[in-house]
Amino acid sequence: MREDSSGANPMSPPTLNLQARRQAQLRADSIAVFQDELARLQNEGVLTLDSSQQQAIAAHHTSLLASYVRDFAIDPTRRARRLSLGMRVASLLGALALAASVFFLFYQFWGYFPEVAQVSILITAALATCGLTNWLQQRDTTGYFSKLAALVAFTCFVLNLAMIGSLLNVAPTDKALLPWAALALLFAYSGDQRLLLVTGILCLIGFVAARVGTWGGIYWLHVGERPENFFPAAALLLALAAVGWHQPYPGFAATYRVFGLLTAFVPMLVLGHWGYGSYLDLPPDLIEGGYQVLGFITSGLAVYFGVRRDWPETVNTGTTFFIIFLYTKFFDWWWEVMPKYLFFLVLGLIALLVLLVLKRLRRSPGQATR
Amino acid sequence: MNVLGQQRWLLTGLGVIVLTNAIVLSAAALNRIGEPESRLLLSERELALPYAGGNRRANSGLALRLEWRVALDGDSPHNIAYARYERQPDWLDEKRMSDLGFDTRKGAATAEARQAFLRQLSRPALIVFELAGPAWQRALQQARDNADRHAAAAAANRGNREFAEGAKAARAFVVQEEAEHTRLFAIDAGSDAATLRQRYPERNRFLILRGTVRPAERLRDGQWTLAGRLSEIAIEEIHVPYTQRAILDELSSTPQGKPHRPAPRYEVQLAVGQRLEPWIERIARLPDQPPPAGDIGSN
Repeated sequence: MREDSSGANPMSPPTLNLQARRQAQLRADSIAVFQDELARLQNEGVLTLDSSQQQAIAAHHTSLLASYVRDFAIDPTRRARRLSLGMRVASLLGALALAASVFFLFYQFWGYFPEVAQVSILITAALATCGLTNWLQQRDTTGYFSKLAALVAFTCFVLNLAMIGSLLNVAPTDKALLPWAALALLFAYSGDQRLLLVTGILCLIGFVAARVGTWGGIYWLHVGERPENFFPAAALLLALAAVGWHQPYPGFAATYRVFGLLTAFVPMLVLGHWGYGSYLDLPPDLIEGGYQVLGFITSGLAVYFGVRRDWPETVNTGTTFFIIFLYTKFFDWWWEVMPKYLFFLVLGLIALLVLLVLKRLRRSPGQATR
Repeated sequence: MNVLGQQRWLLTGLGVIVLTNAIVLSAAALNRIGEPESRLLLSERELALPYAGGNRRANSGLALRLEWRVALDGDSPHNIAYARYERQPDWLDEKRMSDLGFDTRKGAATAEARQAFLRQLSRPALIVFELAGPAWQRALQQARDNADRHAAAAAANRGNREFAEGAKAARAFVVQEEAEHTRLFAIDAGSDAATLRQRYPERNRFLILRGTVRPAERLRDGQWTLAGRLSEIAIEEIHVPYTQRAILDELSSTPQGKPHRPAPRYEVQLAVGQRLEPWIERIARLPDQPPPAGDIGSN
């Protein structure tokens, strides 16, 4: 059987093969760009193809795109892409609404069933929606419906644990975040779901921070009162971003990096203005100053490594926080003493300076070779 | 293909759900195995129906709210009412806070030392509750003494509306203390359940539950001391089993008559298991009480 460059066998039955689908979409995009450029070259008289060559290319592309549409439900044209974006938004909103509906449905009626029935319904719902998601992932080539089902399944599992906890009067525990994270990440990796990846990452951040706080003897629900509890979670996420298993999932490693940086920068920003919330037994002013300096250094390092390794999301996050750290510091120093026009002029000039530095970094020899 | 094959990830997902549920259900079963750690007969005073509101329409489940308080020095109704919310008992002093793991080494002599103490976060603790014991008797006596003082002041200032109102409020407060306010008092805290149970062996009078303690400071007679506050109980809402909720459904759908009569309408047998997690064993309707002699309709 013939295999095309997407790596998929066009004769095979439609299955959701994420990598092959992505490659097929990339090829379709390349075809569109090629057709545009070819038309331009022909108009400018640089290249002339005879009609048989044009027909051969057009026939090949038409056949290729038809097979991609059939096998992977890709968007063959720009119009289809725009519609596809609309479908993604509708799918996301539908998933959120359905998840909320399931949530309130349980709460509305659970009191009318005996406990054994309640527990059975909760567990069965979680298992059934998990199975449904898997079934849809094998059949839904577009991925919209399986993504929707995955979010509903995750909601059912959250409800499952939360409500059994209420039914049996089990004390709330941070340990519930671990299976929630596991299931969310499983759905994310099996269905290429960025929303559930973020959900899983948030559960993981909560769990690690709560564990760190608990090891220090504090009650887990108050973990946010010591922002330093989040630093180990940030380190874990940045380490996870470096492992290789995200390779087939574009954007996943970047998501880990962004959340790793946010989990580090937000606590630094808080501690930079609220030294009282630190574990360190030092004067609050000293702690605040220390975290402000640390914030500048780490956000600067994020920009540096982001540029070096070609991680745009890391550059953007680092730049954003560098400017936030800078602006909050300027506010502390100058807001009261400077005329407002001068204050905002300084901010504007600083932004221009940052732009110049980034422009220089972009043109650096290391980047030119990439 | 995906990193996980479709079948493999399905099995993993189902495994996560089944394993997690198995752990939760085993923990709940373990809690209820054998004789309960404590078993008390409480009433509506200690286990109140949820507040009426929009949320109840959206949630058909029913849970009773555990009402508890701490004893405080002081004898005015205002002070006693304040104690119900403040939850900073006198017994939770510097030594007890140190026993619970808080660092009290810097003492309370300077503002900096107290600030360093207050910076510490809540810690989990086991809290002992006493039902209708000496703490409640003291609170009751405080309310009666307070009513006597107000009555004497009103008698000495006959015709003065302010004194008359004060005496009326104090008298009403006695009725509430006798028949309405919770009799469940937090009387001790520790970190080891066995030690606490040894100290309070009556399992039908002393309840041990998980909670949290937060550092606080106290100013008394011009002197600052280190103290603690009972910030929360791990399980303050206790689920009502399906088989027991008929009585409560009937009560919560029946509006209370006017004037309000502060008498408990039901009693609840509450058990606490090996993991110090409570559950309701039985709910029974109490006979209607005759209206009290004092007029408390204005409260």
